[in-house]
Amino acid sequence: MLARQNHSTPLQWLGRQLFNRDDASAFFDPLLARINPMWVQEYTPARVQRIIRDTSDTQTFVLKPARRWQGFAAGQHVNICVEIDGVRHHRTFSLSSSTTLWHDEGLVTLTIKRLPGGRVTNWLHDQLKSGAVVGLSEAFGDFLIPEPVRPILFIAGGSGITPILSQLKTMAVHGFRAPVTLLYFVRDHDHAIAGEHLQNLAALHDLLTVKIVASQGGSEPRYLTQSDLNEITDLGCRDIFLCGPQGLMALAGELLDAKGVSRDKIHSTYFSAPQTDLDSEDLGGKVRFARSNLDVDSTGDAPLLEIAEAAGLTPQHGCRMGICHQCSCRKTSGTVVNRLTGQASGPGEDTIQLCISIPQGPVSLDI
Amino acid sequence: MKQMTEAQLTELEQDLNAIRNDVLADLGERDARYIRRVVRLHRTLEVGGRVLMPFGFIPPVFVAATVALGLSKIIENMEIGHNVMHGQYDWMNDPSLHSQTYEWDTACSSDSWRRTHNYEHHTYTNIIGKDRDYGYAVLRLSDDEPWRPRHSLQFINYILLSTFFQWGVGLHELETERLHRREITLRSKLPFLKEFFRKGGRQAFKDYVFFPLLTFPVAPIVLAGNIGANLIRNLWSSTVIFCGHFTQDAETFTEEECWGDGKNESKGHWYLRQLSGSSNFTGGRWVHLLSGHLSFQMEHHVFPDLPAHRYPEISDRVREVCAKHGIHYNTGSFARQYGTVLKRIAAFSLPDRLRARLPALDVA
Repeated sequence: MLARQNHSTPLQWLGRQLFNRDDASAFFDPLLARINPMWVQEYTPARVQRIIRDTSDTQTFVLKPARRWQGFAAGQHVNICVEIDGVRHHRTFSLSSSTTLWHDEGLVTLTIKRLPGGRVTNWLHDQLKSGAVVGLSEAFGDFLIPEPVRPILFIAGGSGITPILSQLKTMAVHGFRAPVTLLYFVRDHDHAIAGEHLQNLAALHDLLTVKIVASQGGSEPRYLTQSDLNEITDLGCRDIFLCGPQGLMALAGELLDAKGVSRDKIHSTYFSAPQTDLDSEDLGGKVRFARSNLDVDSTGDAPLLEIAEAAGLTPQHGCRMGICHQCSCRKTSGTVVNRLTGQASGPGEDTIQLCISIPQGPVSLDI
Repeated sequence: MKQMTEAQLTELEQDLNAIRNDVLADLGERDARYIRRVVRLHRTLEVGGRVLMPFGFIPPVFVAATVALGLSKIIENMEIGHNVMHGQYDWMNDPSLHSQTYEWDTACSSDSWRRTHNYEHHTYTNIIGKDRDYGYAVLRLSDDEPWRPRHSLQFINYILLSTFFQWGVGLHELETERLHRREITLRSKLPFLKEFFRKGGRQAFKDYVFFPLLTFPVAPIVLAGNIGANLIRNLWSSTVIFCGHFTQDAETFTEEECWGDGKNESKGHWYLRQLSGSSNFTGGRWVHLLSGHLSFQMEHHVFPDLPAHRYPEISDRVREVCAKHGIHYNTGSFARQYGTVLKRIAAFSLPDRLRARLPALDVA
C-alpha cells in the first residue's frame, strides 16, 4: 500500500531494463535518503512537524507529507510505516485534521492512542520526535460525509473519535448546513480526545450538538441507551456514523435496529479487524508453500500469514488486519475463508491477503 | 564423511542450533544499518562508475571507472543479491531487501537462482548426481564420475566458464547434460529459456547497448569498460565460488549415504554434510565483503539465512563445535585454497591411472 502505483510508460520500461526493478527511481533511495529523507521515492515520506499531547495516553502528530501526496477526504485513514529496531512496521490510523489544513498549509494530523502492550503506538509515543520522517500511504476508506449534506448523527467511542474529528473540523470550515449531533463516549472526561475543541465547535455552530458521556464517571457504567437516541430529533432522516470499540458498535447497531433505522443509513469504520464468527470446525488444512518447497498442516482458524511465519517463512506483510494488501500473494489452488467477510474463495487461482485468509482444506500458495 | 552415531548427530544439531538461536535473538538495528550501508556503497560505486566511464579516454579514469563498476557488480551480486535472496534480511520487512522479490544485476534471473541455488545446491550440497553445482556439469572434480577423453581439456572449459560465468550461471537451469542424455526435452525448458532471454537480454542491453549508445562519441570506450567490469565480476565470483566446495579437503557424498535403506537424512546429518563439504578462506574485512562472506562458506552452509556479516563473529563458535565433534574446519589462505582447487581441476582431467602415478596431483 505504501508503494506508489505506477502506470507503465516507456520510461518505466527503461527503468526496469536498467535497474531490474519496477520502481527505478527508488534505486537511488539509499543515496537520496542520506541527502534528504524527504526525497525518497519508494514511499511518500512525511516529516513530523510537531507533537501535541491530547490526553494522558493520546498524542497528535502533525505531519508534513511530501507534496506529491494526493490528499484525502475527511473520515479516511492512512497507513504509516516506521522502522523499529531494524524492522519495518505498518499501521493504519485515521487522519484527524480538516482537509483545509492540508490544502492551506500542507499539513495533516494523526491522533494516536497508546495501546497497552502495542509495539508501534508505544514506540510512536516514546521514540518518535519532531523532525523525524515516516512513510505515508495514500488515504483510503469510504467513511465519508454524505454529499449533499444531510442531517447526521455521529456515535463515537474512545479513539474512534479521530475520523469524526476530521469530519467535524472540515464541516466547520464550510459551515454546518444541516443538524449534526455527536454522542461521544469516553471512560472519563480526562480521556476525551479534543474535548475542549469539540465543545468550542458546538458553541460556535448552532447546528452542531456535542454530548460527551463519561461511561465510568458514576457508580454504574453508563453506556449508550435508547433514551440517548430518543433525544435525537428526526433520527429517521439522519445519516449515522459509528466509530469506536466493538462493544459500542454492536450496542449501537442493536438500538438503531430496534428504532427501525434502515441499515443503509448506517456507516461504520473499525480500528481493529472485525471478525465474523467462523465455524472453525471445517477450517484448517494442509498448506503448500510451493516456492519454498514446504508443506505444513494447520488446524483451526489460524490465518495463512501466521501459518507461514510459524513454518519459518517471512512473507512480506503490513497491517496484519486486511487493510494494506502488502501481504497479497497468489493462491494457486484450494479454498480460503476471508476472516473479515466470512466469505470462502473459489478453488482456483486467486490473489489473496495472507493475514486474513484462513485455509479451508488443502491450499497451495506461490511463496 | 566422518561417521557419527545418531546421538552424536543430535548433539551436533543442538550445538549449532544454539549458535543460530543466539544470532536470531539478537537481529536488529545493527544488521539493518550494515546492509543499508553496503547498499549505499553499491549505489555510490555504480553511479560513480557509470558517470566516470565516458571520460575513459583518459587512461587512469578508464581504470577507475571500470574497477568501480566491477566492484559495484561484485558487491551487488555477492553481499547484497546472494544474501538477500537467501532471506537473510526478510525479517526487516523491507520490500527492497526481500528474498522473494529481489532481482539482481546478473544474467541469471532471481527466480532461476532461487530454484537452482537456494533449493538444489543448498539442499543437496556436494551429493554427486544431485548437486549440479558440483562441477557445473562441465567439470569432472571427483572419482565419482568416470574419466572420458573430453575431460583432458577441462582446464580450458574452466577458464571459459570463469570468463563467462554470469552466462553459465544463467543457463545452469537448462540442464544441458540431461538434454544430451535425452532425459528431458528442450520443449520442457521453453518457459525457462524465455525467462533467461528476458533477463539476459536486459543485462546485455544495459551494459552493451544502452550506456554505450547514450555516450555515443565515446561508445567504444564505454562498451570496453562495461565488458571489463563484467569480466572482473565474473572472474572474481567464479573464483570465490570454486573455493567454496572444490578445495582439497571438501568432501563429496553419495545419495546412499544420506537416504540409503529408505532412511531420511536427519538435520544433524545435514549439518555434518554442510560442514564437511564446504571450505573457508581467510582474509581481511574487504575480502569478506567482496566475497559476500562466502569466505565463511562453512558458516554460510549451516546458516544460509543468517545475515552474512555475522559469520565472522560466530566463526570461532562454529570452529569449537567442529573441534568438539572431530570435524575438520577447512580453512586456509585464499592462495592456498585456490591452489588446491586448480590442482583438483587439473588432477581430474587425467585418467585415474595416470593421476595415481603423479603424486603431486594427489587430491582425493
